[in-house]
Amino acid sequence: MAEPAVIARSPITPAEPPSVVDGWEVSGRRSGAGLTLVDCMPLAKILVRAAPDGAVGRWLGTPFGRAGTNPDGVLVTGSGPDEWTLFGPHGSGRALVGAVEDLSGERELVSALDVTHGRTLMRLTGAAARPLLSKLCAVDLGNAVSPNSAVFRSSVAKVITDVVRDDRSGVPSYLVHCERSYGSYLFGALLDAGAEFGIEVDGYTSTEMRGV
Amino acid sequence: MILIPCPHCGERNVSEFQYVGEALTRPNPDGVDPEQWRSYLYLRSNPAGPTVESWFHRAGCRRYLKVERDTVTNEVTSVTLPGRGGPQP
Ligand SMILES: [Zn+2]
Repeated sequence: MAEPAVIARSPITPAEPPSVVDGWEVSGRRSGAGLTLVDCMPLAKILVRAAPDGAVGRWLGTPFGRAGTNPDGVLVTGSGPDEWTLFGPHGSGRALVGAVEDLSGERELVSALDVTHGRTLMRLTGAAARPLLSKLCAVDLGNAVSPNSAVFRSSVAKVITDVVRDDRSGVPSYLVHCERSYGSYLFGALLDAGAEFGIEVDGYTSTEMRGV
Repeated sequence: MILIPCPHCGERNVSEFQYVGEALTRPNPDGVDPEQWRSYLYLRSNPAGPTVESWFHRAGCRRYLKVERDTVTNEVTSVTLPGRGGPQP
């Protein structure tokens, strides 16, 4: 069988061995470490701007500062007072933009922008994810202030970064995303800060969105 | 370190914000004379004490905020979202 063609790359060099998922060059590494960092670049990322009380805002449902999964398995994060970032399975970007545009009708001012290639997304998972992030970010990550499904934008390792707490089977997990050009630096900064906790790079799998 | 309590994001380090400047009332462009317009564009009172100014939450909600701050003590006494009327960012 011929090697699948690579048509998209992350700004982060994939850890050996390389693999291809839906045209994306990803890492095929499988780590069993207690603290892992995954480059989730292939996931679809849609930036939506709309009025919170409009048709689109009501459909999206999650308020600013919170995340929720809609019935289609799309993670909807309230990333600003009238702004949402949607995360869907790889390749779902066009359909997601279409779904938002269909809902917006003609009277509502809505923008839906596919920023899949424009932002770098990574997932940090493990019991030590919180102490690691606390080294780089001043926001209180304790459960009282930042429980599961909390969303905020702040400075992480001096990069303007969106953080989504999205625990997986009770294990603390954070989706972290920033402008594409800072992605490689932020990935390195997280690995550097995680060295004392035994962090390892894990590969991307096509089931990354499952159970979100 | 100055902490600014953003109405959207909560208390954040000042390094997340961008200082915009003194909040001024924009004169109505219809009927304003050049002297008033120049004063609006270029002149600032720069007080030693309480002042109302605009800050931009660059690394947070990306909103302009109206901040009341004492320029001597750096104490921030109030942060609100700019509304209609009064000095505007
Ligand atoms: Zn803010």
